[in-house]
Amino acid sequence: MIELRDITKSYSLGKELIAVLKQINLSIIEGEFTAIMGPSGSGKSTLMNIIGCLDKPTSGEYFLDGENISEYQDADLARVRNQSIGFVFQQFQLLPRLTALRNVELPMIYSGIPKNERMARAQEALIKVGLGDRMDHLPNALSGGQKQRVAIARAIVNNPKLILADEPTGALDTKTSQSIMEQFSELNEEGTTIVLVTHEVEVAEYAKRTIIVRDGEIVHADEPKRGSQQ
Amino acid sequence: MSLMENMKMALSSLKAHKLRSVLTMLGIIIGVGAVIIVVAIGQGGEAVLKSQIIGPGNTIELFYQPSEEEIQANPNIFYEAAFTQDDIKALEQIPEIKQVVASSSEFSPIRYRDQNADSSIFGVNQPYIDLNNLQIARGQSLTSSDFLSGRRVALISHTLQEEFFESKNPIGEVIHIGNQPVEIIGVLEKPTGLFSFGSMDIYLPFNTWRMIFGKNEITQVTLQAVSTDQIQTAGEKAVFQLNNMHNTEDSYQVINMEEMAEGIGQITRIMTLIIGSIAGISLFVGGIGVMNIMLVSVTERTREIGIRMALGATRNQVLTQFLIESIILTLIGGIIGILLGWVVSSIVAFFAGWPSLISWQVVLGGILFSMVIGIIFGLLPANKASKMDPIESLRYE
Repeated sequence: MIELRDITKSYSLGKELIAVLKQINLSIIEGEFTAIMGPSGSGKSTLMNIIGCLDKPTSGEYFLDGENISEYQDADLARVRNQSIGFVFQQFQLLPRLTALRNVELPMIYSGIPKNERMARAQEALIKVGLGDRMDHLPNALSGGQKQRVAIARAIVNNPKLILADEPTGALDTKTSQSIMEQFSELNEEGTTIVLVTHEVEVAEYAKRTIIVRDGEIVHADEPKRGSQQ
Repeated sequence: MSLMENMKMALSSLKAHKLRSVLTMLGIIIGVGAVIIVVAIGQGGEAVLKSQIIGPGNTIELFYQPSEEEIQANPNIFYEAAFTQDDIKALEQIPEIKQVVASSSEFSPIRYRDQNADSSIFGVNQPYIDLNNLQIARGQSLTSSDFLSGRRVALISHTLQEEFFESKNPIGEVIHIGNQPVEIIGVLEKPTGLFSFGSMDIYLPFNTWRMIFGKNEITQVTLQAVSTDQIQTAGEKAVFQLNNMHNTEDSYQVINMEEMAEGIGQITRIMTLIIGSIAGISLFVGGIGVMNIMLVSVTERTREIGIRMALGATRNQVLTQFLIESIILTLIGGIIGILLGWVVSSIVAFFAGWPSLISWQVVLGGILFSMVIGIIFGLLPANKASKMDPIESLRYE
């Protein structure tokens, strides 16, 4: 489903050109639960931003579900993020002035789904992550774990092909982290492809496949493995 | 994303910063309000000036301007009667003329007991009273029999009453014009309106005036036409008739009302334009205030912009969101400004005694203009928001 061919990314710092990613080749098939690991500064976040269509590679080709994303313009990339990708961030990234329900509705506003359907689907997603009784709470009235569950509900509400989780447990305690990771495993068992970026081994263990990035290169990649249902 | 959705979003983020939104709007409120007030007062003033020149009730003034030949033939021509009683009778026969208002005036010393003053003494005919809307505050007005018989009765102006009688009742008192006694039968209302100043005036029936001053001349003749579109025809017929009767070529003339009114309109429009553009500058400053606050708002909400972009908002959608926010800000400000302008100009119009002219064009123009201000000054901040890099924005603290 994800096919990266010779992806490079470099930034110019003054006159110097700094290569963050060097010739990355990677394929992830549908239904996989993959953890991308690596120390900070290894380029794993840049890799995730490229997979998430938030950033464009300097060179190379990126196919998502057969579409050549590397040729897309900003507006098309926004559509891909909206329709095909669900994000879960370390800092939750909820809008503070909107209730849990309204936060979960946001991606559907941008895909032009009518209000009634939006409400119904947002409620369904919140019930699924176990927050049926917290729908009208503002984010600052929720615990860290609950905030992350709202973010997960928001990520799945548009039925994306891929969920990208960037250090999703980085701001949570161990016990909450476990329950969040169990939530991801559950979603993966239902068939959602998940790419997880982390530097914690315990978190990466929930994934079926591990890829290690160091100095902009993949230094280790397990064989692709489908979710347990296959 | 629908417009409704965008507007709801804009309203909720404006509500989140109530004080800031209100203060930002204030610039627009004052600007739009000032423009509305200037335009309304300007148009009201223009209407009043025009009506004062055209005169109430379809009237037009005749005047006598002797030609050079006539002056050479008779150097005393200026001291002779411009209009005679016969002229008035002839003019009254013209079908387009409803009535002829005739008056003469002299400046003369007057006396009441031991008080002396100078006053304008008007000799008027009956139509003069209705047409100039001389309202009686005390006593009674001149009657037809007063006009016919030339009784020695007078109406005095409010100012004269205050000067001579203070709070005493002047009705029935006798006042001397020169050394001729007349009886006061009525006091006129205090004049209203911004351009009306009280003066010491006495109104007599024309026949009485003629006896007192020993003159038969009529210095001022105003025609009232049967309808507005007959004014010019009535004037032309009257002029033709008078020139015929006096064997003059075109010494009797009539003022072209339309030209006069146009000229006055021109002057007030230029005045309105000048003051209006000063008010417009305050609106411009208000617009800069909106831009300033929107720029602050965009910076503050960098992370929100990043989140929205990550969730699939296109750059255009982000641009539209902030643009609609600034349009709503200026639109609400504009509507409040129009209400403010309406209230203030109504108050001014009330005290000045002229009509308040807030037309639907002004209201619509005000609304559209404040929206345009929102677009112009919202474009830069909205563009800044839409150009943000989603990755950087998500990291913004």
